[in-house]
Amino acid sequence: MTTVITGAAGAPPAAPAPPAPRSRRTRRGLAPLFLLSPAGLVLALVTLAPIGFLVYTSFTDYNQRSLFTGAYHAVGLDNYTELLGSGAFWASLVRTVLFTAAMVAGSVLTGMGVSHLLTRLGRGWRYTVTVVLIVAWAMPNVASSLVWNWLFQPGYGVVNWGLDQLRVFGDTTSLDWAQDPARAYVVIWLLIVWQAVPFIALTLNAAETQVPREYLEAARMDGATELAVYRIITLNHLRPTLLLVTILSVIWDYNVFNQIWLISRGGPGDATSTLGVYTYKTAFVGFHIGQGAAISVVTTLLLLGLTAVYIRNLLKAGEDL
Amino acid sequence: MKHKRRWIANTLAAVFCLVWAFPVYWMVNTAFKPRPEVMTPTPHFVPEHPTLDNFVKAVTQEQFLTNLRNSVIVVVLTVMVSIVLGIFAAAALSRFRFRARRLIMVVILAVQMLPGTALLIPMFVMFNQLDLLGTYAALVLAYVATVLPFSIWVMRGFFVTIPAEIEEAARMDGASTWRVLTSVLFPLVAPGVISTGIFAFIAAWNDYLFAYTFMQDQSRYTLPVWLASFTNPHTGTDFGGQMAASVLFSVPVVVFFLIIQRNLVAGMSAGAVKG
Repeated sequence: MTTVITGAAGAPPAAPAPPAPRSRRTRRGLAPLFLLSPAGLVLALVTLAPIGFLVYTSFTDYNQRSLFTGAYHAVGLDNYTELLGSGAFWASLVRTVLFTAAMVAGSVLTGMGVSHLLTRLGRGWRYTVTVVLIVAWAMPNVASSLVWNWLFQPGYGVVNWGLDQLRVFGDTTSLDWAQDPARAYVVIWLLIVWQAVPFIALTLNAAETQVPREYLEAARMDGATELAVYRIITLNHLRPTLLLVTILSVIWDYNVFNQIWLISRGGPGDATSTLGVYTYKTAFVGFHIGQGAAISVVTTLLLLGLTAVYIRNLLKAGEDL
Repeated sequence: MKHKRRWIANTLAAVFCLVWAFPVYWMVNTAFKPRPEVMTPTPHFVPEHPTLDNFVKAVTQEQFLTNLRNSVIVVVLTVMVSIVLGIFAAAALSRFRFRARRLIMVVILAVQMLPGTALLIPMFVMFNQLDLLGTYAALVLAYVATVLPFSIWVMRGFFVTIPAEIEEAARMDGASTWRVLTSVLFPLVAPGVISTGIFAFIAAWNDYLFAYTFMQDQSRYTLPVWLASFTNPHTGTDFGGQMAASVLFSVPVVVFFLIIQRNLVAGMSAGAVKG
């Protein structure tokens, strides 16, 4: 605790006035080093060291007892071979991939629609929609997960009441959403899409307003339908942004934890245990920490390709500045 | 024709706003309702007897003040550490060209994309070994791990917008590197630093996973864990109180979001506030 405070206060790497007069070039050459090293050291300590330790732990049988005694054994690749032979792991992986695809499709498509809608609105409605988007986006996910539990609460939840009024699903007042795999997915999916759409819609809209007007008007003059204009001209301009937003959504949705944990705890049974939940349960409910570390490593590796594409794109965009 | 289209767009906008605002409305609406209006099979869309009871119940909960204090301490430390360390690193990565610059930026971005458990598991074991579980230091270190990289990235974005001429002019006048930084560059990025600080605040304020796993005792929890623990299987969930607590917890974040809305997109794409 104190180390953290002194670390912060003593951090300014006051590029000290060099005692001996050095050439200007060397001094400038060292400046970035002085400026970077405090952050660099802290980052190495809090990110690189833990990641290294995660990989190390994944080759051990670290478990609940080790937490008290500090004793554990190297087990080589055992955790990994066990993992690859485990039905629960494969089931969780398939679940994660399918659910991620469903969440990304839902939020990106809705986001595209809302982005386009924003271009068609007068100032008043555009402002209203933007405020609604920002408020939905701002909701902390712990709070929105609780709100969701309340909306879908069996007995007094407003959604069950609404469905009941429709009179098509029979008596739905005491429908328990979290107790049925398909329904639990629907609830979580709705929450994720609700939270993800604002970022996607606003980002895409920022790009969509940059589409040159003349192109759109020229196409309309040539008699293209609105759908054709959107498909041929707008989408073409949106492609790079769309790619970034989609990759980012995949990364986030793949890693979703809080919402699933707070709504279904990965249940009923293991029905909604995506990789994040499965890892958490293995490491912190069963306290098979070595095994949990192995799942975490595999989870990270599976995403690495996509992360690489994303970072390359972002760097390219950043370098131009 | 044109008139008709506008009408369709406006209708769609209205429907969208209703659907998207409803969960937030329902949270606020429930928070102001007395218990009989909350626990009823026929929902009341407007509170008939609005009351502040739920808010009073929430803030007079045994752990509220302790957990609020924990949250504030941890969040403030995280923001301070990340901004102070981050601003120098951001300056280095934007105003200087040197080898390894690209590599450092890749590491900074890659950390953002890790699943939570990739840091949670090793940190838990390490902090357990160092006897840090349950301390503020454990949480601050965990938050700095995610907040510092994006603070560097976001602030770097503000630095690169400053024209090189301004810096050169100061150098011509004989200013040292240190002086250029503190008297020329830092004042120019001050608004960006404030936005970054707000991002940092939100990320640390919202965290549930690390606090829930590391703090291990009700009196050590932060507000998100306090909020989630309203779901008590023994007493049954008090939805009015829970929604009032959710409102209290969310208000600072929503206000901050509205303040920094123009910078939101840039910060988000660096992984600032996760979904």
